[in-house]
Amino acid sequence: MSFAYFALKRFLKGIEVSEAFREGFVEADGFHIRYMEAGKGPVLVHLHGAGGLRLSPAHDLLARNYRVIAFEMPGFGASAENTKTQSMPELAATMAAVADKLGLDRYNLMGTSFGGKTALWLALQQPERVLALILEAPAAIRPEGAAPPPSAPEELARRLYAYPERQPPSPPVDPAVRAKTQKLVARLRGPDRDRDLETQLPQLKAATLVVFGTRDTMIPPEMGHFYRELIPNCHLVFVYDSGHAIGAERPEAFVEVVADFLERHEAFVISRTNTVIHP
Amino acid sequence: MKVSFFETGRYVPAPGTPREWPVPSGAYDPEIGAGAYRAMIDRARLVEELGFDWISLSEHHYSPRILTPSPPLSAAWIAAQVKKIKIALLGPIVPQSNPIRIAEELGMLDTMAGGRLVVGLLRGTTNEYLTYDLNPKEARERADEGMELILKAWTEPQPFGWQGRYFQYRTVSVWPRPLQQPYPPTYALGISRESCELAARNRLGLGVSYGPFEVMAKSTRYYREQAAQYGWEPGPDDIIYRANMVLGETDAEAETILKERAGIAPFPVRAGLRDALLEADKRNVAGEARPANVGGVLPTTFIGGPDTVINQIKRCREEIGAGVLDLSLHPPGSGDVDALMSAIELFGKKVLPHIRDI
Repeated sequence: MSFAYFALKRFLKGIEVSEAFREGFVEADGFHIRYMEAGKGPVLVHLHGAGGLRLSPAHDLLARNYRVIAFEMPGFGASAENTKTQSMPELAATMAAVADKLGLDRYNLMGTSFGGKTALWLALQQPERVLALILEAPAAIRPEGAAPPPSAPEELARRLYAYPERQPPSPPVDPAVRAKTQKLVARLRGPDRDRDLETQLPQLKAATLVVFGTRDTMIPPEMGHFYRELIPNCHLVFVYDSGHAIGAERPEAFVEVVADFLERHEAFVISRTNTVIHP
Repeated sequence: MKVSFFETGRYVPAPGTPREWPVPSGAYDPEIGAGAYRAMIDRARLVEELGFDWISLSEHHYSPRILTPSPPLSAAWIAAQVKKIKIALLGPIVPQSNPIRIAEELGMLDTMAGGRLVVGLLRGTTNEYLTYDLNPKEARERADEGMELILKAWTEPQPFGWQGRYFQYRTVSVWPRPLQQPYPPTYALGISRESCELAARNRLGLGVSYGPFEVMAKSTRYYREQAAQYGWEPGPDDIIYRANMVLGETDAEAETILKERAGIAPFPVRAGLRDALLEADKRNVAGEARPANVGGVLPTTFIGGPDTVINQIKRCREEIGAGVLDLSLHPPGSGDVDALMSAIELFGKKVLPHIRDI
C-alpha cells in the first residue's frame, strides 16, 4: 500500500466515515434518522455536538470493544430541517425513541458537547436504560454569557482543537445546512446555567464520567467540577493538552479512560497498570 | 529591585575529594554534612537581617557542591528558623518528580511558612536526569505536563483524574492547599520557547539564569510577547534573573577574585557522557537552538566593586526587565565560607540599600 493510499484513507476518515462504520437509517418519533454503526459487544450510543455527526478516531477505537451507534440527531447534517423539536428534553425523548426502535434495551450513552446535554436529559428521562453516561466536553453548564459556537470554519477549528494544524481538513459545509443547524442549536441549547436541568441532576442514577481537555477554549474545563457537585456518582477526568474535540485530538487517551469507566464504573480509579520491569 | 540569596548548602569537601559527577558517596563525611546544614541557618538569619527579600533553594543530586537533593526539606528546615524572609524553591525538577507530590509538599510548605513560599518549576539541568533514570529526550514534555498538573492540583475544587502523555492519575484531591490563594507566586524557570509559552499561558512569572543580559533578554522579550497574546502584561516582579556575582570592595579586588575562580565547572562529567547527553537533550533560547550546558562553566555577569555592580544591576533591569535578582555571591563548593559571609555582608551593606528603587 502506498503512502498516498493511507493519506487518502486518513483524509476520508476525517471527513466522512471510517471503513468499519456502516450507515443505517431508522424511523422514529416522526423523524428519518441516520446513524453510523460498527463493532460488537455492549452497546455504546453516541450523540454528537452542535457541528453534527462526524466520526473521529475515538469511534474506531471504541468500536474494537463496543457496538458503537452514532446517531445523527434530527435537523443536523443532510437531514430535513427540524422545526418540530422545541427543547432539549424533547430532543432527548426523540433520541430515546430512536434507540427503542433499534431494539436497544440497555445501553451506555456518550454525549459530546451539545449532545452531552441531550444525553443528560435522556439519562434523567430513561434511568433504567442507561448503564453508564460519558460526557465529552459537555456544553450543559457554560460560563454566564458564553457565546454560541462560531460558524466561520477557521475560527471554529481554533475553538475545537488545541492544534488545528494536526487535524485533517474539515469537510466543506453547505451554507444552507449550517444556517438550519445554527437555528436549531440556538433554539435547543438553553440557558448557560439551566436551572431546570441542574435541579434534576442530583436524581441522575447513571454512573457518569465527565471528560474535558485541558486546552478547551469552547467550554472552559473549569466547568467540570459543577457536574461532579450535582451528579451523585460522577467522575471528572482531564485529558492533558487536548482542546474541545477530545476524541479527535487525543483519541487513545480519551478511549482508554472511557473504556475503563464503561467496564468498571467508579472502580476505574483502581490502577491495574503493571509496573514490573523484570519479572 | 528585589534580591534573593541563592543558598547552596555549603559542604566543604576534604582535600582530594573527586570532582567529577556523580561524586562517589563514599567520600561523604557526615560531620561535614551536619555542619553544612547548620550553616544554612546562620546564612539565612544573616540575609534576613540584611534585608534580602528571598532565600532561594535548588535541587541537585549526587554531589557535595549543592547539598540539597530535596528542596522541600531544605525549605522546611530554613522556614522554621527565620520569620520574615520569603522562601523560594527554584525549584523542584518537575520531569523527574511526582507532580502531585510536589503540589502536596508545596501546599504544606506554604502553609507552615505562613504564606512565605515562592515557587519555581524547573525542567532541570541535563546531568540531573541520570539521578532517577529519566530519558533526557522526554524531559521537556514531562516538565510541561507536570507543571500544568501541579497548577490544576492547586486549583481544581473537586477530585479529578488526569489522562496525560506521561502522567496518569485517576483521583487527585490535594490537601493542604497553599495558604496563598490560589497558589504562591509561581515561576516557570527556563529560557526556552516552551518555558516562555507555558509561563505566558498560565500567567506565571519567568525565571532565567546565568546567561549574558542580551541572551536572557531574548527570552524575556519573547515571554512578554506571548503574555500579550494571552491578554496580560508581566511586571518586573514576574521576572527573576539568577546570576553569579563577584563583588569586591573595589573593581580591582573583584577582578582578582574572578581570576582565581576562573574555569571551575559546577558539575563536570566525563567527555563521552557529556557528548551523549548533549545529543539527547536539545535546548533553545526563545526558539533559537543552542546546546545544553553539560558539565560546563557558568558565566559570571556581575563583576566589580559596589558602584560598578549597581550600574550593572541597572542595566540588567533595563535589558532583561528582571525585578528580582537571585544571586550566587560565591562559588558553591568553595571551602572559603568566611569569604562567602563577607561577600553577603558587603552586598547587604554597600549594594542592597542602593538598588531598591531600580
